[in-house]
Amino acid sequence: MPSKIKPRLSRGVLDMKFMQRTKVKVDKEDDDEQSRALYSNEINAKMLNSNSNFIIEPSYTICAGLIDGRLSFRGMNPELELLMEQELAQKLAKVKPEQPKEVSDQDMAKAYYTNKAPSVANNMSKKFSTKNDLKRKQGQKQQKPQFKRPRDEDDD
Amino acid sequence: MDSGSAIVMPGERITSIEEVAKEKRVILGPGLRRLDDTVVASKAGPLRHKEPNTFWIDNYQRRYVPARGDLVLGIIKGKAGDLYRVDIGSADIASIPYLAFEAATKKNRPDLNPGDIIYARVLNASADIEPELVCVNSNGKRGKLGLLADGFFFKCTLNLGRLLLRENCPALAALTRELAYEIAIGVNGRIWVKANSLRETMALSNAILTLEQAGYTEIDKICDSLSDVLQA
Repeated sequence: MPSKIKPRLSRGVLDMKFMQRTKVKVDKEDDDEQSRALYSNEINAKMLNSNSNFIIEPSYTICAGLIDGRLSFRGMNPELELLMEQELAQKLAKVKPEQPKEVSDQDMAKAYYTNKAPSVANNMSKKFSTKNDLKRKQGQKQQKPQFKRPRDEDDD
Repeated sequence: MDSGSAIVMPGERITSIEEVAKEKRVILGPGLRRLDDTVVASKAGPLRHKEPNTFWIDNYQRRYVPARGDLVLGIIKGKAGDLYRVDIGSADIASIPYLAFEAATKKNRPDLNPGDIIYARVLNASADIEPELVCVNSNGKRGKLGLLADGFFFKCTLNLGRLLLRENCPALAALTRELAYEIAIGVNGRIWVKANSLRETMALSNAILTLEQAGYTEIDKICDSLSDVLQA
């Protein structure tokens, strides 16, 4: 048996708080081994090795793809019709192939880069700008028209 | 949907399925059995096939055999501890715990009495234990399940129930053209209908029952004349 070869953790260690996950894992392994030992004489080679191509499905609903049988038409039960609509929408969303594109990929790429290009250009130009450029820029900013106090005459 | 509808008899070996099974996986529905590598029919009726690989036999039957996941109509027969006993037309009476309803708690039981009709899903179906139903989905929501109030209830064959539940069944659409109604169809051959007036409800149930003997092929023709049945 592999368990005898494998080193096992003592119970004291497994009871520690940080070992809880390992404990669950070890417990599961033990359980599996026990059940395997229990049924080993019942399971024959055929059961283990047969890969059948048949799947048994006892429900007509699944086989024939039947719909839910609770339906309402022409506003008899609005609550139910809402549910039906939602289900239909979900189904359509699943089935629906790719929506036709309103903007072609090429147009999109073009628009994307024209929109994005200024910011990229700015970032790059910042890297190459010298201190002088920066000062000049700040100088320009200072020239911005400032708030002018209203004349005293207006108070009267 | 039904490409081949050859009639098969119980005990008949169905080689056409075996051929398919050599290449790919095959789903065997009700009425078909596997004996090692052979497929044998266990019921009499037309053999149905759905693409790509599903086969089943659509036999005439009135006795419902519960299968997991089916949506059925049941009649409450009584209370037993924390269960309701429900008649779903199967050999064994089904049960539904009172906690299997939306917003039900131990204190707040659903208000169901013997004779009430519920639309429920089969949760457990095994030959050895009684079938178990639920009236909520996995999120604990009611959805379309639950108590069916008012309306008219009648039984039919399992085939009629399945006929109406096919996708794109023309019958329900044809009836919609005539009147507004609400319907619950169980795969256990039980139908509940409700229209605006008693007269309309009865006409509806009669119209549905005229489809009893219809095959998949002649249903379109019958649907055209359904309005005549409704007028009568």
